[in-house]
Amino acid sequence: MQSAEQLRTRVKRRKLIVQGTILIITVLAVWGAVSNAQYNLTRLNMTSGFAFLERGTGWNYSFSLVERSINDPYAYTLFIGLLNTLFVGFTCIVTTTIFGFVVGTMRDARHPALNFIANVYVQIFRNIPLILQAVFLYALLIHIGGPRQAISLGDVAFLSGRGLMLPGLNVSPWVAVAMLGACLALAIGLILAKVTLWRGLAGWLGGSVAMIMVMAVSFRPEGANLLSLPELQGLRFRGGVSVPIELFALVASITLYGSAYIAEIVRGGLAQVPRGLVEAGQALGLTRAAIWARIKVPMALRSIIPPLGNQWIFMMKATTIGIAIGFSDLFYITVNSISQSGQTLELILLLMLTFLAINYSIAIFTNWLNARLQLKEH
Amino acid sequence: MHRVLAASAMVAASLMAPQIALAESATVKQIEERGTLLCSGHNGSYFGFVEVNDNNEWKGLDIDLCRALTTAILGDPDKNQIVPLSWAQRFPALQSGDVDVIIKATGWTMGRDTEQGLQFSLPYFFGGAQLMAHGDLGVTDVAGLEGGVICVEAGTTIERLVANYLSTEGIEHDMVSYESAAELRSAYLANRCDAFAAWGPFLAVLRATEIGDPDAHVILSDQLSAEPIAAAMRQGDEGFVDVVNWMLSALLIAEEEGVTSENVNDMAANPANPRVARLLGVEPGMGERLGLRDTWARDMIAAVGNFGEIYDRNLGKDSPYKLDRGLNNLWSHGGVLYAPILD
Amino acid sequence: MALTEIAAPAPMGLTPPSRVQIARTKFLKYGFGSPLAAAVSVLVFALLAYILWRFVDWAVVHAVWSRDNVDQCGHGGACWAVIDARHRLILFGTYPFEEHWRSTLAAIAIVATVLLSCIPAMWQPARLAVLWVVGFAAYYLLMEGSLLGLQQVTTDGWGGLSLTLFLFAAVVLLGMPMGLGLALMRRSDMPVVKWFALIIIDTIRSLPLVTTLFTAAVVVPLFLPGWLDGDKIWRVILAFALFFACYQAEVFRGGFQAIPKGQVEAGKALGLGYWNIMGRIVLPQVFRHALPSTINMVVVTFKETAIVTIIGFFDILASGKTAFGTADWAPYYIEVYLFVAAIYWVFIYSLGQYGEYLKGRMALSER
Repeated sequence: MQSAEQLRTRVKRRKLIVQGTILIITVLAVWGAVSNAQYNLTRLNMTSGFAFLERGTGWNYSFSLVERSINDPYAYTLFIGLLNTLFVGFTCIVTTTIFGFVVGTMRDARHPALNFIANVYVQIFRNIPLILQAVFLYALLIHIGGPRQAISLGDVAFLSGRGLMLPGLNVSPWVAVAMLGACLALAIGLILAKVTLWRGLAGWLGGSVAMIMVMAVSFRPEGANLLSLPELQGLRFRGGVSVPIELFALVASITLYGSAYIAEIVRGGLAQVPRGLVEAGQALGLTRAAIWARIKVPMALRSIIPPLGNQWIFMMKATTIGIAIGFSDLFYITVNSISQSGQTLELILLLMLTFLAINYSIAIFTNWLNARLQLKEH
Repeated sequence: MHRVLAASAMVAASLMAPQIALAESATVKQIEERGTLLCSGHNGSYFGFVEVNDNNEWKGLDIDLCRALTTAILGDPDKNQIVPLSWAQRFPALQSGDVDVIIKATGWTMGRDTEQGLQFSLPYFFGGAQLMAHGDLGVTDVAGLEGGVICVEAGTTIERLVANYLSTEGIEHDMVSYESAAELRSAYLANRCDAFAAWGPFLAVLRATEIGDPDAHVILSDQLSAEPIAAAMRQGDEGFVDVVNWMLSALLIAEEEGVTSENVNDMAANPANPRVARLLGVEPGMGERLGLRDTWARDMIAAVGNFGEIYDRNLGKDSPYKLDRGLNNLWSHGGVLYAPILD
Repeated sequence: MALTEIAAPAPMGLTPPSRVQIARTKFLKYGFGSPLAAAVSVLVFALLAYILWRFVDWAVVHAVWSRDNVDQCGHGGACWAVIDARHRLILFGTYPFEEHWRSTLAAIAIVATVLLSCIPAMWQPARLAVLWVVGFAAYYLLMEGSLLGLQQVTTDGWGGLSLTLFLFAAVVLLGMPMGLGLALMRRSDMPVVKWFALIIIDTIRSLPLVTTLFTAAVVVPLFLPGWLDGDKIWRVILAFALFFACYQAEVFRGGFQAIPKGQVEAGKALGLGYWNIMGRIVLPQVFRHALPSTINMVVVTFKETAIVTIIGFFDILASGKTAFGTADWAPYYIEVYLFVAAIYWVFIYSLGQYGEYLKGRMALSER
């Protein structure tokens, strides 16, 4: 008969052995993989290292927020890919969250028509693969035709198979990026300052518009109009802001798909708000809108934020389907760099590290947001 | 340099006693053990070169060359497996061993030859990048595309050629690139782009048959490049490179000598000259120097024909595309194709 | 006074309102209760009716159905002739034409496996495992053929819906045990084991699926010695299964959390070992708790298989694109995409509805 002491040491020893084995196997596997890679690289006479990052690429791609040329080094081109991914990702996060809240509220509404149409929307768009929706939408859009067949939207905006032409501010691309950055900074500032939900949103909208106007006026080129309107000249539209159809299709399809998911999350959150609270609001004589804005949404947010954060991370990852419709997101730029430079390992490593960094940041942000919202429960 | 060395080694070997064993190719050995040759296909169709017909079978110039190589090594044209690959995947697939050789309209470039660790065969085709535009735009040369949108396939040499050409000429443009030829084509047809760049022969094929009315499209006059197209292999297996080079050379020599799939057996029975006798393995030695059967070239020609037959069947007069031989004719007929000396 | 009112017996013959009656009352009350609500109702339903009418007009009334009438296409109606002519390509890809019956049977085997798994009588790990292994083996033997003495077709020749179903079944079959393993490791009290699982799960979950698959297809062979490479399709399936496993491990973790600690302690007090406690007490409950989320994961996996088209597989999306890839059929891309979307939708919607039904049933049984 063993004593309890003996048994404990035996269990302890066994656990040590198990862990040691796993460690050794991992180390061996990693070592084997690395030495194999080295062997394969020398066997195939492939150069490794990051020196290629400073070489010019020599190729062009569909979209960039800032100036680019075919002489840009790989490092800069990859940076543009990152910028594009972040841009599409954040745009989709904003559009999807807003649209998802609208549809989710409709799903929660008692009005049968609104409820029905929201339900139809969710059931259609949630049950078809995103990539299929993206290529389908893209095919539909490019069949609109060239600039000469463009659909005019009140003569200030045009939709053609080439892209969406919008009136824009007369500023350089870098100023536009700075504007986006300023809006983002304001949003973070407001959250840090613990402003309440609706006041914060109003402040953000007002503040953003004001900042953009100030920057547009002060940075516009000498003697130029504040606004620039698109106009058909030769083979293309000139002036205004041009949204390439690839970008438009990608954002639209991610938004349509993601909103269906967020609508379900929002509906679930709203449904969990205790009836008593809503009835208390009614007893106080609050309007339906006020009950929604001041009771239901703030209460629901607590259960909405964690799944919403997952959905945001999904959105960032979903930008990688851009490659299927020719949009130059980070994955596309990486894959193209691989085939043009042959530096497979280095580029895949950079891609993975970047996505880890982005998605961990979002996870940390939503965790923090969640903690902040939970704290308010006294 | 190593090409010269390999050639002189061969000459030396042939001068010495025939029983001197030549370096055996590891790849050939692997293929023989496996019993199949792994060739590169395409994800979709690249008309005339790699395409899938109505019976879901692969055909095209590149496929026929793969079949020729299969016959040379394994004696049976069907003992190959065509692995569908996108352009971007072909080199990684070669390096990882998913395919043994890339015969896929692939241009010989310095970067691929050196940094990417590839080894190219003799060129078997010459073609340059060109642009095709919608006819209703009324443009005839690239300068007319000022302000337009140009589509191109991602990850190809053409992508860089076009970017370089347009920037040299100072033509303002937007560029959209796609991962597959099919997507590129449907985008062009849907008028997403004013013009699209591709390899000249491919454009001619496309215009002739695959996109409806040929007059609705113009191939612009600018020649952006003249690319030598060759088979690509992993570096470090000189023996395999020799096999592929002599496979291509034998097809050319057969055409020069008038050996066709129909008359190959008569020719072997009754060779017109010593060169034909050597080619068809009537005179021993043809196989041993490459580590193959003596009759490899005869079997190959019987199975797929000579280079002219292959060309005519897939691109030329017997194909729907009716492409002129042009540069891709024998040197004796005004082209630039020629075979090394068979001694 | 009030008391008598409450205590008053219900009038004779008054039955509780039926569900239809309740629905109708609610519909009228909330949909037409105020002028604004009524206006919204009328507007929305009119809009929906208009869209539906336009769609039916295009897809049914003016449609061309047969490939023999293809010359009538392009006059304001759908050209279903493209489906009539090309459906075999969409469903079976480049699989040899005369062997399509094998591809059909194989696809049916997978669908039958999924359907059978939905029957509660099958919900025992052993039965499910046997069912899936048998279903999967039936698929593989039929498609590959050489073991049954049929013409051999290698995986490069598989395509269309059959390939999509194959990827799906293989990923779920391999991913499920991997996910359970990761979940158990994640809960281990041995720090090395725990962190090993944690790092794998968090890393894979942070990466887009397509980068994981691309890495498996293109990069991994560089790290492996030649004899370990295997076929590209199996590398991709393994990577996909790992992806599935990492999400499924989190699903199982949710299931573990629902089980009171006291049960494990009770098991220990009885002198049961780790595997006995897990196998007899914990896991059966975990599976039950995790069932709805597992079905959700399975649905998501089915949808995500479409991603493989990016790394060059000939799945149903790619074969659909090829179907309208010739000049003759190029104008009818909408019909083909709708056809493919409808196939996906039927599979995903019905699986999803089944998951909802189960969730509802389990919520009831736990009341």
